[in-house]
Amino acid sequence: MWRLKTIHHKASASASDLEEFKRKRREFEKALRQARKDRQLVSKRLLQNDVEEEEKEEEESMETCFTFLSSEQVKEMIRGVQMGGEEKAARLASLRKALRNPENQLAFIKSENSMHMLIGQLSAHNAQCQLEATRCLHQLSHSSHPSVSQACVPAGPYLLTYLSSQSTQLTEVCLYTLGNLCPDNAAVREKLLAQGIVSALANCIHNQRYNLAVVEAFGFTLSQLLQAKDATEKIIPAVMASGIVPHLISALTPDPEFGFGPAIECSWCLHYLVSSSLDNSMLIAHGALSHCSAVLIALGGAVAKGNPQDGLELLIWPLLRCLGNLLASGGDVIPEDTRLLAALCVFAQIYLHLHPALSRESLWTLNNLTAGSSGFCSGLLLLNMVPILIQFLSFSGGINSMALRVLGNIAHHGPEYCVGLTQAGLLSALCATLKMADPEVVTLSLEVLYMLVSSNPQGVEEFTRLNGIPLLEAIQYNNEGEQRVRAAYILDHHFPSFSEVESL
Amino acid sequence: MLQPEIIEFLASTTPQILAKNIPVTENRESKRHDIQQKAEAGEEKAVSPFEFRPQRLRFAVEDEYFEDGDINRHMYLQNIVTSFVDDKQPPTISEFRCHIAGCKQLFDTLEGYEHHYNALHRNVCSNCKRSFPSNRLLEIHILEWHDSLFQIMAEKQCMYECLVEGCGLKFKTSKERKDHLIRTHSYPADFRFDKSKKIGRTTEKKTQQKKDAHMEVSATVLQQESSESMDFSLTPEPVETEPMQAANLKPRYSYKVPSSICFGQGSVRGFRGRRKK
Ligand SMILES: [Zn+2]
Ligand SMILES: [Zn+2]
Ligand SMILES: [Zn+2]
Repeated sequence: MWRLKTIHHKASASASDLEEFKRKRREFEKALRQARKDRQLVSKRLLQNDVEEEEKEEEESMETCFTFLSSEQVKEMIRGVQMGGEEKAARLASLRKALRNPENQLAFIKSENSMHMLIGQLSAHNAQCQLEATRCLHQLSHSSHPSVSQACVPAGPYLLTYLSSQSTQLTEVCLYTLGNLCPDNAAVREKLLAQGIVSALANCIHNQRYNLAVVEAFGFTLSQLLQAKDATEKIIPAVMASGIVPHLISALTPDPEFGFGPAIECSWCLHYLVSSSLDNSMLIAHGALSHCSAVLIALGGAVAKGNPQDGLELLIWPLLRCLGNLLASGGDVIPEDTRLLAALCVFAQIYLHLHPALSRESLWTLNNLTAGSSGFCSGLLLLNMVPILIQFLSFSGGINSMALRVLGNIAHHGPEYCVGLTQAGLLSALCATLKMADPEVVTLSLEVLYMLVSSNPQGVEEFTRLNGIPLLEAIQYNNEGEQRVRAAYILDHHFPSFSEVESL
Repeated sequence: MLQPEIIEFLASTTPQILAKNIPVTENRESKRHDIQQKAEAGEEKAVSPFEFRPQRLRFAVEDEYFEDGDINRHMYLQNIVTSFVDDKQPPTISEFRCHIAGCKQLFDTLEGYEHHYNALHRNVCSNCKRSFPSNRLLEIHILEWHDSLFQIMAEKQCMYECLVEGCGLKFKTSKERKDHLIRTHSYPADFRFDKSKKIGRTTEKKTQQKKDAHMEVSATVLQQESSESMDFSLTPEPVETEPMQAANLKPRYSYKVPSSICFGQGSVRGFRGRRKK
């Protein structure tokens, strides 16, 4: 099982090993961030065989995996397969193990006829040899060395053909292999697109939609295609026209037995589709909005019950983005179930310390849900969630500014809503945010403050009592014109009595 | 942190509360408008600087906003452990900043901010933005620096009051007072709240218009003598550069403003054209 699997760090590992491990992970993370900035964030997946074999191989791996073979030995292995006879499949299996070593991979592709031999086995009639040869290709496709995965490209038409194979095992390996090949370069993608990868994928998901291992592999491969730099022009329109969308949407609901893998892959695909397009009415018509909402509510319930399963954020994250951007680009269609409010608040709270960015994105989605919806704004007041929102005001990094937007959405609905916010203690929280360093937070605080004091006298009284006026006076001497003007305006228009103090 | 009602609410399958069934109050925008107009009655209409509108925000797939989540996704794809129980990446707590122009000090805590603000900025001269550690020193400053009557009277009688509360002695010049402070009260010779005004009255008026945003901030900042001028280019309406007449200006709130002095902070948009000249 590699679904939601994390790297094995043995429980017996000493503290210093763990430190070393963490340090490496941080370096790795840094490299990934840089790759994303360069728009070259690419990941490949290596499909392991079933658990037992994996464990057995792990023991062996000490010997096999790191064994370096001379090019002569590699050629010997290739000849061995060609002459193979009865043992052909077994010889292909040991070739695959040898190919775990990057040096051996290079030696393999440099050997004459090596790829020709593999493709020959791929199209042979022996099913076991077919599978083993595909696994060899899969191992090669996982290489980060461009020339190695490039060498696999001639196998493309076969891999695409086997997407409609009756053997789901073979289909799965083919999908992951194609998924690994896609992101390498534009030329490879061009070729695969010309060879019909989109319709092959559409066929595959249609036929295999009940086989969740295949659905997961399909989701991975499609997500690799959709992440391409040039996806918007060609790939996305082709995918939208292919009939894939309904399958993608129904795969969003995780299967309790199988695990979250397929749902995770398919929700990322949906995120890439939704967030690349300005008009998502077609996706909404297929039920994307209601499905995302329903799954998020279910996940909110699971997370709220405590002890959230590790890795659940991998599914919550893309679904939140789908919902957030669907709300921003789907016209006036909004979900109805107010339990969404609770789910979004729960995510924002639970992940605040483990994944602050996820917390921030939950508040973003909440903003999109409440912007212009009096029903959802009333819901936040009615369900007593304003105190929760106020708690987010002390956290920076986009968290407090987004929480202020949500509070502003509520206040914007008029005096009754402002009274509710005042009663929930918002004014004293604003007294703190007005002192913050982030100019966006100060400006938003002034905006919300203005709504509270301009629409209800109780707000004026309360703010005076909280000694808020000197704060506004201080902001009047601020360098930020935006803030200065707002502070002066509130003082002039809503605290006129103070202008009389000490006059003359 | 989680409320039990929320957990219960999420777990409930029926009956769902639909957003459309929640009682809502109509947005009475007009009501707020009324209040606003009442406040503006009798004045020329000021343009409200407030512009908050509920907005649904859209982020594109490559937006920086999505970076952390994308990294988390790819760490998973590459089989990297994304989190340890003991290895949280806590959210950053907001910093606080002193908003007084020319100060801009940063604070980790609200307490730090409060202490700084109360110690340094509670007594600010509205005219020249100098701040004083006590109300008494501020009053003495306003009298001596900005009150034209004081200058006339000082030529005839002792007007420079000793800075020490309860002493009560008055002197003919600030120089005499300084000597007194050093001799009688063991004040340091460079006591920073006893700077004497160096410029003459005529030049003063001009420079005040331009430099009124200069301020002496805190003891530490002041030692470097690096008072910063406020960036007026943010509101560069040429109309407002013409000096406002003293009598027309509204006094500034709880800050003390000498009645005979022109308040130079005329560049605020909300004030534009409101007063008849
Ligand atoms: Zn300060
Ligand atoms: Zn002064
Ligand atoms: Zn004295």
